[in-house]
Amino acid sequence: MPEIFINGQAIEARDDQTVMEVAREHGHFIPYFCWHPQLSVVGNCRMCLVEVEGRGLDIACNMPVAKGMQVFTNSEEVQAHRKAILQFITLNHPVDCGICDKAGECVLQDYHYEYSGQRSLSHDEKVRSTKFYNLSNRILLDNERCILCLRCTRFTHEVSKSMALGVERRGDVSNIRPVEDRPLSEDPYSDNIIDICPVGALLSRQFLHKSRVWFLQPTPSVCPGCARGCTVQIWHRKPEWKLKALDQRQNENIARVTPLDNPAVNGPWICNKGRDLAQMFERVRADEPMLKGRPVTVPAALDEARRLIGAARHPVALVSNWGSNEELETFKDKLGEVFHCFVKQDWQRQPGERIEDDLLIRGDKNPNTTRARELFGHAEPDFKDGTDLVLVWGEGFDFARLPPRAGIIFLNSYLQPENGHADVFLPVSIQTERHGHYTNFEGTISAFEPCFEKKPGVLHAEDLIKALAAPARGHP
Amino acid sequence: MKHLVPEFEKLRERFPAGFESSLALPCLRRIQEDRGYVADSDIEELAVFLGVPQIQIEEVLSFYTQFRRKPIGRWHLQFCHNVSCSMNGAENVLAHVERRLGIKPGQTTPDGRYTLSTVECLGSCGTAPMMMVNDGYHENLTLAKLDELLQGLK
Repeated sequence: MPEIFINGQAIEARDDQTVMEVAREHGHFIPYFCWHPQLSVVGNCRMCLVEVEGRGLDIACNMPVAKGMQVFTNSEEVQAHRKAILQFITLNHPVDCGICDKAGECVLQDYHYEYSGQRSLSHDEKVRSTKFYNLSNRILLDNERCILCLRCTRFTHEVSKSMALGVERRGDVSNIRPVEDRPLSEDPYSDNIIDICPVGALLSRQFLHKSRVWFLQPTPSVCPGCARGCTVQIWHRKPEWKLKALDQRQNENIARVTPLDNPAVNGPWICNKGRDLAQMFERVRADEPMLKGRPVTVPAALDEARRLIGAARHPVALVSNWGSNEELETFKDKLGEVFHCFVKQDWQRQPGERIEDDLLIRGDKNPNTTRARELFGHAEPDFKDGTDLVLVWGEGFDFARLPPRAGIIFLNSYLQPENGHADVFLPVSIQTERHGHYTNFEGTISAFEPCFEKKPGVLHAEDLIKALAAPARGHP
Repeated sequence: MKHLVPEFEKLRERFPAGFESSLALPCLRRIQEDRGYVADSDIEELAVFLGVPQIQIEEVLSFYTQFRRKPIGRWHLQFCHNVSCSMNGAENVLAHVERRLGIKPGQTTPDGRYTLSTVECLGSCGTAPMMMVNDGYHENLTLAKLDELLQGLK
């Protein structure tokens, strides 16, 4: 346990640590571009220079701790060299922040304001390079903005292992380039390089020029795409920046999804499916209760559902594995005795989707199978003779498999043809409209928060279950 | 490249296991020596042989300006235009050769005999100006010496 001193503070460090790691752990901020806690050290940006007494300047990311070393992270000499390094890094940077998607969350922009603030000292014209280079069907590359920190190439070599990126040529004409034999479009984790890019060189096609990031706010959520349950941030428009003139739906759109760093589940990464949650959640919604396809009020639909439940002799429930822990527990508590319950797989693997790997992606494409099975068992849905009522909660079940004469109560969020076939259809809210928790395949519980308001005709499943369990009106 | 594989296997023994990508450089040098340049098919075959992605081969190739992706002339004239040579008249001798051969640096004569390049320091500052013709050094260049030399290169 070597004792080192950072800015005069004595710190007990571990032998295998670098000065960068120790400084971060103890709240001494050192700026950096190329270093990343999950990637190997290359030390090419030189931004994390610190002064070590008796040794002069060196980079903190690649400096092992040694007993008694005196490190200064913000001495006058360090400040002067940082300024020089920023001058060098921005030498050929176009400084087109006004039209750059990264502006507002760009590390280079922040550091420039914090540590440099100078104009370019160069008299030479900036080196021109490719703009909007097509890296894959999801990602564009702006080589002029790139500062060659090599985080993206290291990510594809060390984390996603697709080996899809490399550097061509050298000096001020070197460029990040993909290679034909390992297309980046086949890397299901490719979009992480957009997040780890410290500048605006890697751009998401989906998010390109869609919104300035300061108009958006993130809501912590959980990706329902598979049993891993990665924690994510769902970005949506801030209420104070609500659009008044344009289509109101734009205020309730998912602008983008980014990972929420969580060492217990996903670390700082998520897969591309998690980025595309908007496609899942922004399908056309069902917002009116129906009786056999005829729109009715919520109380009328609830009454009819309660009447069916009261009259049924052998009711069966297919419980959604997209329900939150709270909803599933409420169902078990309130209706577990009434229904014979089975867990239903709401979502199946889509064609072309990666089945499973050793990084994040799991074979079970539903978020809460673990808790649902704990409560309702492992048996596959099975309708014994005499089943006269089926409550189907959630999508993904073929109605042709239901017993022909049984009544159907259907709880679903999206506009689907089955909705009209049910005796009672009740629209329920989706994950972006409610609080809850999911239990992932390892038993880790993660919480999600609401980002949007639900429509008045739509019910939260938890309230709906309680209402169904309440005695029917007029029949105490 | 196929016929060089036994040589490459020998080279491989000199590297620790797991460092296959480090073999790219010596293998590429040998390929260029053999063929005169590195063809696209060489890159593909070498990537398969070393078990590394093609981008790692391309990175090495594009980093070192000494690697060539296209065939060059029989005589490769490489003029140093770094400080010492420039101060001793490298521009004059280069201009003279450009006139005589009718090509600019980076070009090859239509008959495929000469390729002209300018390069950085070749470590012979004491005898500037100088150039390399294929693998040989020619130092203390003068216009007369150049004329004589070019006569001999057929």
